[in-house]
Amino acid sequence: MGARLVVVLLATAALAALVAGFVIGFALRFPEPLAATPAQAGPGFSVQLETVAAVGTAIENPRPDDPHPTWVGYLPTTTLTVPANSLITITIHQEDTPSGLRNPYWATARGIEGGTFHMTYFDDKGNPQEGDFSAITDPANAAHTFAIPDLGVFVPLEGVNANAPPNSMNVISFSFRTGAPGVFHWQCFVPCGSGTIYGNGGPMQTLGYMGGFLVVQ
Amino acid sequence: MRSPNRTHAPRLLVAWAVLSVIGIVAVMQIQFPPGDQSRQAADQSSLLSLMAVLSTPVFVGVVLFLIYAALAFRRGKVLEDGPPSYGNIRVQVAWIAITAVVVFFLAGIGITQLASASSSTDFSGTQLGTSSPVGGAGQALQVQVIGQQWYFTYRYPDFGGVESLHLVLPVDANVEIHVTSTDILHSFWAYQLGVKADANPGVDNIAYVTTTHTGSFTVRCAELCGIWHGNMSDTSGKVVSQSDFATWVAQLQKDEKDTPVPPYAPAYFPSPRVKGS
Repeated sequence: MGARLVVVLLATAALAALVAGFVIGFALRFPEPLAATPAQAGPGFSVQLETVAAVGTAIENPRPDDPHPTWVGYLPTTTLTVPANSLITITIHQEDTPSGLRNPYWATARGIEGGTFHMTYFDDKGNPQEGDFSAITDPANAAHTFAIPDLGVFVPLEGVNANAPPNSMNVISFSFRTGAPGVFHWQCFVPCGSGTIYGNGGPMQTLGYMGGFLVVQ
Repeated sequence: MRSPNRTHAPRLLVAWAVLSVIGIVAVMQIQFPPGDQSRQAADQSSLLSLMAVLSTPVFVGVVLFLIYAALAFRRGKVLEDGPPSYGNIRVQVAWIAITAVVVFFLAGIGITQLASASSSTDFSGTQLGTSSPVGGAGQALQVQVIGQQWYFTYRYPDFGGVESLHLVLPVDANVEIHVTSTDILHSFWAYQLGVKADANPGVDNIAYVTTTHTGSFTVRCAELCGIWHGNMSDTSGKVVSQSDFATWVAQLQKDEKDTPVPPYAPAYFPSPRVKGS
């Protein structure tokens, strides 16, 4: 009788440990954080990211071993560590083609230093262009957005023009100020989850692709 | 020693009356949610208060009788059967009648309040500003709430369809809130305003609010809508004075002059249904 009780208790404990391990493993599965580095010129810190149509075949930081190599994503990671009370400059190498915004309101940049972002891009003839913008001209040309809603930061990322040479990328850079330490979520507002209903599934719903955390510390 | 039977009822009645009065006084001190930033919110608070007051004597009566019975009628040293009980027609009639009266009374008040919450023109007893205030009697201010994964934006069709990141409303105004979504189901919940309305794509869901106080309020999504549902909140909602609202909306119109927003529509359909297929 006693032996049976011990076996039942041990089995229950083992099962509970397995379940707890699974839950903890799931809850703690965060992408490796990317820390902001001091900017080479001028005060502040900088972060460089890459947005791609398929994380498995990116130009700069491909993740061929990713469980979803065909999903869109931000690379190399979506957990960004930045210092508090600082000017943060984010540079995004945007390689994806347009998906289009469902709400054109997000085509305008908000909450960034100077109200404008700098962008090198390709015009309809495929020629490289460059300039400072406060919005993208056509909301249908947005590939993604980089938005930190709780900090009021919203930046549209123009898709690479269909006439651009192969392996082209638009380079978008902008700055914003961080305040007190905290963890803020950031996300994309373009329904870019290709092949999912309304485009809001898959990479839009999974940590590590089209959204993540900005750790201000 | 047990007390004779006839002393139980008066003793219980006195204890019940005293404890009920204390309970009611205590319950009336509670500030019930959601507050009084709008007429609808104040109505909800007072209704919750009334229900709590009415249910206090019932709660006290049940708990008191349970405890009293457990103590006064507990088994003695000698095991003996109590007297047989054949029912009591007066008690039966009394509890059914009292319960029915309370339930129908509360139902009546609830239905009346539900109906009045959706009448935007009822503005009795409130003094409006003199210089044609926004949302005065008979001319509700229209605001469209657009839910999307994962943020609410607000459009003001009365002011050229400008869109805002935060909901700002003038005080002493009747507001018609049109709630919709561009993708999936969300739910617009402005806590202190006492408004919670489903945000469904392709649907124009109308809720009414009559602002009575300046101050800030919190907006949350109240329908599980995906990975960032928990972050779909905004603590920067504001009820401001009529003049502050006029200044704010003028600034918004200036700022958003070149912002591409779609032509105003009562509701938005997600499009395309499936990306890339």
